[in-house]
Amino acid sequence: MLGLTMLALFVMCALFAPIITPYDAVEQNIDGLLIPPSWLANGSISHIFGTDALGRDLFTRIIYGCRITLGSAFITVVLAMLVGVSLGTFAGMLRGVRSSIVNHLLDALMAIPTLLIAIIIVAILGTGLVNSMWAITLALIPQFVHHTRSFVRAEMKKEYIVASKLDGASRWQLFVHSILPNMTEMLVVQGTLALSIAVIDISALGFLNLGAQSPLPELGVILADGLDVAYLAPWNVAVPGMAIFFMVLSINIVGDGLRSALRKRVSH
Amino acid sequence: MSHGLVKRLSLCICTALLVASCAKQNKQAFYNTGIIYCSESNPVTFNPQLDTSSTTSDASSHQLYDRLLDFDPESGRIVPSLASSWLVSDDGLTYAFQLRKDVWFHNTRYFTPTRNFNADDVIFSIDRWRLRSHPYHYVSGGRYPYFESIGLAQNIASVERVNGYRVEITLKRRDSSFLANLATDFAVILSEEYANQLAQTGTPGKIDELPVGTGPFKFDSYRKDHFIKFLRHDNYWRDQMEDAPTSDEALSYNNTVESANQEVENGQGGEDTVQDGTAQHRDETRPVVKQLIFDITPRSSLRLAKLMTGECDATAFPAQTELEVIRAKEDLTLAEKPGLNIGFWAFNTQRPPFDNPDVRRALAAAIDKNTLLEAVYFDSATRAKTLLPAASWAFQNDADDTAYNPVLARKLLADAGVKAGFSMTIWAMPVERSYNPNATKMAELIQRYLRDVGVEATIVSYDWTTFRRHLQEGLHDSVLIGWSADNGDPDNFYRPLLSCGAIPSGTNRAMWCSEDYDKLLNDALQTDDIEERTAIYRQVNRLLYERLPLVPIAHAYRYQAYRNELEGMTINPFGGVRFGGVKKAL
Amino acid sequence: MSFSLAYLFPGDTLENLTGLVPQNEIQRAALERQFKLDQPYIFQFFYYVGNLLTGDWGYSFTSGLPLREEVGIAMPATIELATYAMLMALFIGIPLGYYAGIRSYSTSDHLINSASITTYSFPVFWFALLLILVFSLQLDAAPLSGRISLLYNIEPVSGFILIDILLSDVENKTLAFKDALSHLALPTFAIGAIATASMIRITRRSVIDVKHRPYIAAAISRGLSSWQIFFRHILRNALLPILPLMAIQITTLITNAMIVETLFSWPGIGNWLIQAIYQRDYPALRIGMMAVSTVVITLTILVDLFNRMIDPSREKYERATV
Repeated sequence: MLGLTMLALFVMCALFAPIITPYDAVEQNIDGLLIPPSWLANGSISHIFGTDALGRDLFTRIIYGCRITLGSAFITVVLAMLVGVSLGTFAGMLRGVRSSIVNHLLDALMAIPTLLIAIIIVAILGTGLVNSMWAITLALIPQFVHHTRSFVRAEMKKEYIVASKLDGASRWQLFVHSILPNMTEMLVVQGTLALSIAVIDISALGFLNLGAQSPLPELGVILADGLDVAYLAPWNVAVPGMAIFFMVLSINIVGDGLRSALRKRVSH
Repeated sequence: MSHGLVKRLSLCICTALLVASCAKQNKQAFYNTGIIYCSESNPVTFNPQLDTSSTTSDASSHQLYDRLLDFDPESGRIVPSLASSWLVSDDGLTYAFQLRKDVWFHNTRYFTPTRNFNADDVIFSIDRWRLRSHPYHYVSGGRYPYFESIGLAQNIASVERVNGYRVEITLKRRDSSFLANLATDFAVILSEEYANQLAQTGTPGKIDELPVGTGPFKFDSYRKDHFIKFLRHDNYWRDQMEDAPTSDEALSYNNTVESANQEVENGQGGEDTVQDGTAQHRDETRPVVKQLIFDITPRSSLRLAKLMTGECDATAFPAQTELEVIRAKEDLTLAEKPGLNIGFWAFNTQRPPFDNPDVRRALAAAIDKNTLLEAVYFDSATRAKTLLPAASWAFQNDADDTAYNPVLARKLLADAGVKAGFSMTIWAMPVERSYNPNATKMAELIQRYLRDVGVEATIVSYDWTTFRRHLQEGLHDSVLIGWSADNGDPDNFYRPLLSCGAIPSGTNRAMWCSEDYDKLLNDALQTDDIEERTAIYRQVNRLLYERLPLVPIAHAYRYQAYRNELEGMTINPFGGVRFGGVKKAL
Repeated sequence: MSFSLAYLFPGDTLENLTGLVPQNEIQRAALERQFKLDQPYIFQFFYYVGNLLTGDWGYSFTSGLPLREEVGIAMPATIELATYAMLMALFIGIPLGYYAGIRSYSTSDHLINSASITTYSFPVFWFALLLILVFSLQLDAAPLSGRISLLYNIEPVSGFILIDILLSDVENKTLAFKDALSHLALPTFAIGAIATASMIRITRRSVIDVKHRPYIAAAISRGLSSWQIFFRHILRNALLPILPLMAIQITTLITNAMIVETLFSWPGIGNWLIQAIYQRDYPALRIGMMAVSTVVITLTILVDLFNRMIDPSREKYERATV
């Protein structure tokens, strides 16, 4: 329950960012450099989380940051899911040698670390949020493929599928009408798992300056910017980190809850 | 069984504690034999004749080499170093140097000296950059940026060996800054014997990669982006001297102060503390520093962190935001002094529309210097009206200065035919320097100001070596950079930064060439009279204000941050850090 | 695939392939002939592979050193870090996960479970940052950069610094050893904590699954109440399904290690690759990428083989869930 509310909060922030925020995300305010957050002695209520070294309001940047990080992670996951599911179904319906080759290839792909893929893509295409999204999409696809494939293979052996086949259903019809509806739960569970990985990876790439670039207010970038003034103004490092942490935590809690619910359903 | 176990256990614990306490003593003693300095970048070479960056000078000139003359860090006067005394002829054209005896070069893995320092080494070191025909002139590139920028090679008529320890240098024209130039970081003395040895093995370039000098430390190893390791030079001549000093040897480097906090309070480092060579130097209770290590750490926040944990004993270029933190910590010392430096915004005057002085004036009027001072220097700098800071004897307090006037800026731009939306580049240095601790931030602020007057600026940066190379090729529209003086002479500001001769050597970032300017500078060198020279420099300032090839922004304070255990650290007004006399207390 | 990258990377192909910059046209032609760039694509590929196998890996743009040397120094550093973190995860994670699984849905289980899910949600770079801020800067308990204090000169024999210290002939070996250990402490903990949390969750889930299997119920009803037999049944059957997941664990571990290396200035392959990409050092990137993927793929294959050896009855593509 707690997880769900937290997640809902983040989603709201992401969707309604421009309306909630009092300031512009990239506007610099020279007079207001490194103002402490409102709960410290020198802070003011006009800057709830304080400001950073260039005078930008941290609260605004974090809200926008949630939007960018969560939003791009979400898009990444959806893309990976689409591609992964199609590939996986295709592989699952295959038989014989072709299927083993595809399987081994994909398993090898799964083994390559996300960061490596990201580095290669950045080296070829350059830095930027979009390129880092491509990298993470590529990294997430094998997971979806693998789970879809095993699911489809398992389902294909079940009686209701055989029954539909005997009825004369084509492969496509089999997929859409019989397998897909049953797959949604598995997809949701995998999706939440992938989402938490995507959030961490996107912010990690932003932190390393390989993904989103300054002054884009992505949470990892905000963290990296704050590193230079970490001793003088620790909130610059604490707040974005906590934002990422709680975001991932809420996704994980929700994901765990979904998985437990699913399990309980299956075992009955 | 259990009794025995308890006994054995307690025995183990006791021995462990004992060993641990012994280990602690050992630990301290071992760690005091080495000094680790957090430096900010890789040196380009180990021969400071070839480069002007302070990173290179720190890694080479200050630790590995000596010069004929040095500057006393307190008074700024010229004091003897490898030249024990000198005479100037009446017409000011001939300088005779008496060289010091019993000075030994480094004994390293790759070189063993068979003789000590003598006149041949001086002649080699000077002729290498002076004579194009010298066999070593083109080794490692053949560019000697500092000497080229001041045109010294053209002014020296001859360098003669009178005997093994006496050299005479004759100039073609009077030059009152000549001695000051011989005391700069770049006028180091190399080993002629080593050069000959390398020439015979066919690897002359090694003289700049595996260096040999007479300085307090000798080269051990270098790993790019990681570290430079130096070892103590056991026969260092200053150490030998301490046993039998004479009073006119102003051992300026050995200012041992009780606590460097005094330096901060006095503001100038106290009285001129000349050492009499008493037992203080050969204090047996303090272990001798055997290793000096430069830990290359480009990020300034990481340097500060290492200073705080003790992984570095001293650090280069603390950022403005970190100064307060250092002052607040009790085990760290922050020494500060007004610096002989200038941070500026230079335009590439060889590129239109920056060749039009009105355009330059417009851009200068578009920015508010005071804001830049606050946001980038955090008020640890003074506003610069001209090139010279207050610490120089030719400083002009009432010079003309540009003011923040965006209306005027827009008008001038429109008159010059520059349309709204005009785009230009601002090149920002990637490294910190005392004259500009955060060029990127300054560029972002200037970007905003320029946008207000309809100019779109893009910020460009590369890693430091690539950056300077591209600047030399003139790829920039404008650049945020600066200059730290190498000696106390005002010519050292004006000539390398804006004279015609300084363009090929790369120190003239504005790529500006004006005959009037050069003539004024040369006139100033013809006289030794301070008043006359100051008057000429006033004219120079006026000329620069009218033409504005660059916009002077700030004169910054110099800082040195180090742990309290280091004794003997000084701040040199000309920059750089020297570890020659530094010891670590227990 | 790394070969084709030479073509894909921006910049001159010859330079990207070899790391050498030809000074003029004549040199360029000679180099082209030497590296067979004037021949069809296929020949070039074979020549490239031949070069790799003999150890000629080209030179780095930025440092000019042979790449083989640089990777040879950097790779063992990362492997050492990852190994110690993995050991931590195995020796702490599995027992804790087992304990939580056995006592599932009790208070201690809830505690362990929440702790692990919290740790698991930390972004690794933030976690490392917090460790630095607290332990290095506030408490002065551990250093934050490098593998060992620069005052020591340890000869890299195996690449593993702890072994190299013991093998070297430095005067104060114990001192050096302690120094290296303190440098290892924070990075290993940063990576290890997250890996441990992951391990706990996997083990716990597997144990719970096994607990509800019918044969366990059968064992209980048969009166096998002694702890030893319980352990034997549950443990073996619980551990088997998690082995396939180890491959993913290793991958995540290495990714985290590479990120954390930049924060701790740890001279490993991650730091090296990231510096290479900042400086657009394409030859280095290619070789580095190849080195890391080789290592990771080898490890995955090893784990897979190990799997097949131990459990021949396993359904081929079935894996445990989290």
